[in-house]
Amino acid sequence: MTPAKRWLPFTLKIALLTLLLLWTLVPILWMVLSSFKPNSIITANTPRLLFTPTLEHYATLFSGGNSLWPYLTNSLLIAGTSTLIAVVLGCMAGFGLSRIRIKGKQHLAFWIISTRMAPIAAVIVPLYLLFRYLYLLDTHIGLIVAYLSFNLPFAIWLMTAFFDDLPPDLEEAAMIDGATKFQAFRLVVLPLMTPGLVTTAILCFIFAWNDYAFAQTFSGPGTQTIPIAAAQLLTQTGIDWGKLLAIGTIVVCPMAIAGLLVKRWLVKGLTLGAVK
Amino acid sequence: MMSPALFLLALITLVPFFSIIWMSFNDVSLMGGLSMTFSGLDNWQRVFTDPDIRASWLISLVYFLSTVGLEMLIGTVMALLVYSLRRGSNIVISLLLIPMFIAPVIVGLLGRFMLDPSHGLYAWILNETGLFDGNILGSVGSAMAAVILMDVWEWTPLVALIVLAGLTSVPEDTLEAAEMDGANYRQKLLYIILPSISNILLVALLIRAMDAIRFFAIIFITTNGGPADSTKIIPIRLYDIAFRFFDLGYAAAVGITMLVFSILVANAFTKLLKRRESAS
Repeated sequence: MTPAKRWLPFTLKIALLTLLLLWTLVPILWMVLSSFKPNSIITANTPRLLFTPTLEHYATLFSGGNSLWPYLTNSLLIAGTSTLIAVVLGCMAGFGLSRIRIKGKQHLAFWIISTRMAPIAAVIVPLYLLFRYLYLLDTHIGLIVAYLSFNLPFAIWLMTAFFDDLPPDLEEAAMIDGATKFQAFRLVVLPLMTPGLVTTAILCFIFAWNDYAFAQTFSGPGTQTIPIAAAQLLTQTGIDWGKLLAIGTIVVCPMAIAGLLVKRWLVKGLTLGAVK
Repeated sequence: MMSPALFLLALITLVPFFSIIWMSFNDVSLMGGLSMTFSGLDNWQRVFTDPDIRASWLISLVYFLSTVGLEMLIGTVMALLVYSLRRGSNIVISLLLIPMFIAPVIVGLLGRFMLDPSHGLYAWILNETGLFDGNILGSVGSAMAAVILMDVWEWTPLVALIVLAGLTSVPEDTLEAAEMDGANYRQKLLYIILPSISNILLVALLIRAMDAIRFFAIIFITTNGGPADSTKIIPIRLYDIAFRFFDLGYAAAVGITMLVFSILVANAFTKLLKRRESAS
């Protein structure tokens, strides 16, 4: 290959990549940067890169009457509980499903995957009626159940895929050496499942933490989550952008870090195990 | 070991499933306590004759084809670019992945912030360069383009990630052999790379197809279907019917038509998995 031939595509490649990186990162960086600007600079007619940073938006968020704390605790409590239940039950079911040989297994799999894929707008309608009937509107349990409706099938499916990768020989060997089935599971299989468990847990948590539609419909004054706090500020007249961008930064940063921590297993997780 | 999970899953999915079917044959009223009156096929007749519903399906189709199409195209290009990097591909893909961890509400918030007519960065750039001066989210056409691009911004990285995983399985010795025989990049791409990742592309397509009809928060928070219903995709329409007009029976019927779509996708997905299993 002549140098000239290589040079041209290389510049083109770098130019395209730079463009894609800018397209991807500019809104995020602009949000984080602007969350440290005073409101007068955020709403100025011309964008400004240089300014004296301020923490006032974060300070007002966590003080005063309508602080972000209750929203934050609701989010953590609801997303955390639904994740814990989904991962524990999903791990048990995943192990079972991966090892069992029964007729009609693909029907079972189809049922699980189609519940995960059900459109949220369609699920909301019957759940709203049921929650109203059962007095579960504006309760933590209601939202936890709503999030389980997509996180539980997700966890079962993904854990099954992770267990499928682990040859059954290991636990069989342990059982030949005298371990009970439960001991083999707890002492041999489970430690090897750490990446699967962590990936499933992080993804479940992100899905629940990021939800807006369920929370908007089922939550009330006592159970609103952070996305609701953002939406409330956004629908007011005279939007307080500084405060909003600070909330955005708080919602985004921990999830981006958590997601990238399990980057190696993300493909498997987000394709529901279809790609290794 | 499977029974607790499957029992709970049955409880929280089958009960709503049969409820939504029953609701679709009833006139559900929330006024003065919950009441249901059997109304036969009334809701179903409306689903198939309501011009608003037809308009929303059409908008959904445009939204679906544009978002998923652009995501597949840009995502594949993104993956090929990152794959061809000699070094730094790890950090580059990590940076590119960030949008897909962001809550759709915040994506909508970012869209409104960047496109705000008086102080948005992108609105300012478009205005200064003379490309567009107007309220982007407030005009018919441009609002649709904006919500499509917001979805593309969030989900292209997912396609790139999936395709990148597929690219690592492209047989390297075949590529080298082709290179020695004088194949150029276009030929390698068309005859070796793309055919060997066709299955992965299908997985990416199905995953995106599934989520494209699942989520609606971006539009919810930016245009809420406006201006003049130009971005009112079917989930937004359904939400309006259910929670603005409280016509839950009718909303249930619309919901079932959406479910049919997602069941078709789920079916294709399980078939694909089975085919790959028997192939390996």
